[in-house]
Amino acid sequence: MRPILLSGHERALTQVKFSKEGDLIFSVSKDHIPSAWYSANGERFGAYKGHQGALWTVDVDPTTTLLATGGADNTMRLWEVKTGRELKKWEFPTSIRRCEFSEDGRQLLGVTEKRTGQLSNVVVYDINPDPDAEQTDEESLRIVVEELPRVTVAGFSSLGRYIITGHDNGSVAQWDAKTGELLNEVYSHEDGMSVTDLQWSADRTYFITASKDKTAKLHDTQTLEVLKTYVADTPLNSAAICPSPTEYVILGGGQAAMDVTTTSARQGKFEARFYHKIFEEEIGRVRGHFGPLNYVAVSPDGKCYCSGGEDGYVRVHHFDPPYFDFKYEVEKEKQRELGF
Amino acid sequence: LDQAKKSSANKAVVEYRRQQLEEWLAWRERVEAELVEERQELGLEEISEERAALLVADEGGEGQKVVE
Repeated sequence: MRPILLSGHERALTQVKFSKEGDLIFSVSKDHIPSAWYSANGERFGAYKGHQGALWTVDVDPTTTLLATGGADNTMRLWEVKTGRELKKWEFPTSIRRCEFSEDGRQLLGVTEKRTGQLSNVVVYDINPDPDAEQTDEESLRIVVEELPRVTVAGFSSLGRYIITGHDNGSVAQWDAKTGELLNEVYSHEDGMSVTDLQWSADRTYFITASKDKTAKLHDTQTLEVLKTYVADTPLNSAAICPSPTEYVILGGGQAAMDVTTTSARQGKFEARFYHKIFEEEIGRVRGHFGPLNYVAVSPDGKCYCSGGEDGYVRVHHFDPPYFDFKYEVEKEKQRELGF
Repeated sequence: LDQAKKSSANKAVVEYRRQQLEEWLAWRERVEAELVEERQELGLEEISEERAALLVADEGGEGQKVVE
């Protein structure tokens, strides 16, 4: 795999996202300026200037028209992708930890930070996909998370039916996206070990969570049942699902040097780890970063993945043919059976 | 004897994987069919807007993006 280094950020990366067509990468870091890049060659496409604090989150709508960002300046902002124009700024009492569009791009959610006197909330806005339209100030829904611990991650399910949240005690919850009613709650990860990421399958009928408990878990969106578990040897910050027909998941994490005990066999372990999605086995690792991987994302076309590191770099890896050809014997057997 | 043990252990692994694969494929088939049905009932296209974006990109090829 030939890696491309996206150099431009001055601080640790916090989130990286592909456009739904796979041709652009959007990145946010602690340096206040969201950036866009061509995934094919790593050239910069644009920058979005206006935020005044570290950024925690970024997402892009299905047509790559609107970009959403959020961070430590207590704002969530909407931008026009191709011009860099700021279209909307929503202000909150605390920082925005996560934002995400629904699969149709008509809704945007934000997760606000829990702080003294402030609960963590999930706020939802209806979005007008026209970049020249006025965007609303009115929340269409607010979930005040009182009974459950702090929300760390959240997203919309298929059909925008549910909002799924991950929490800093390792639990995962399902809410009615219309009424905000809590429908289901499961304790997927070790108690007290934060859920650090939640990423969807292409059709959003299942999702993967990453946790500080060193595991990533695949969940059924409908039932929240844990379908698969991937066991790593380091706290995880992120997990991504490769699109079909490739049956892999990619995990990223690692501990900062100062957190690693001297007895640790391999300091840090700053590698992207590939696991077989169905058989739950590790099949390979990709090195490169000099610090923990804070986020991993896979292109929706499956042709490449990228990782954002604590070291301030985004690395883009385009897959070589053997990556696509690798199959377990039982998979080959199944393909023959189906007449491929 | 060791060889025989190893071979039966391998067989068990392969059998387990076969079962995992079958269960996964059956589950996917069921869930995908349910989703298509639900989308049709709601009067929606079979695939979501974000998945459709990929198909459009495939057909359209290069050079569609406006450079800043």
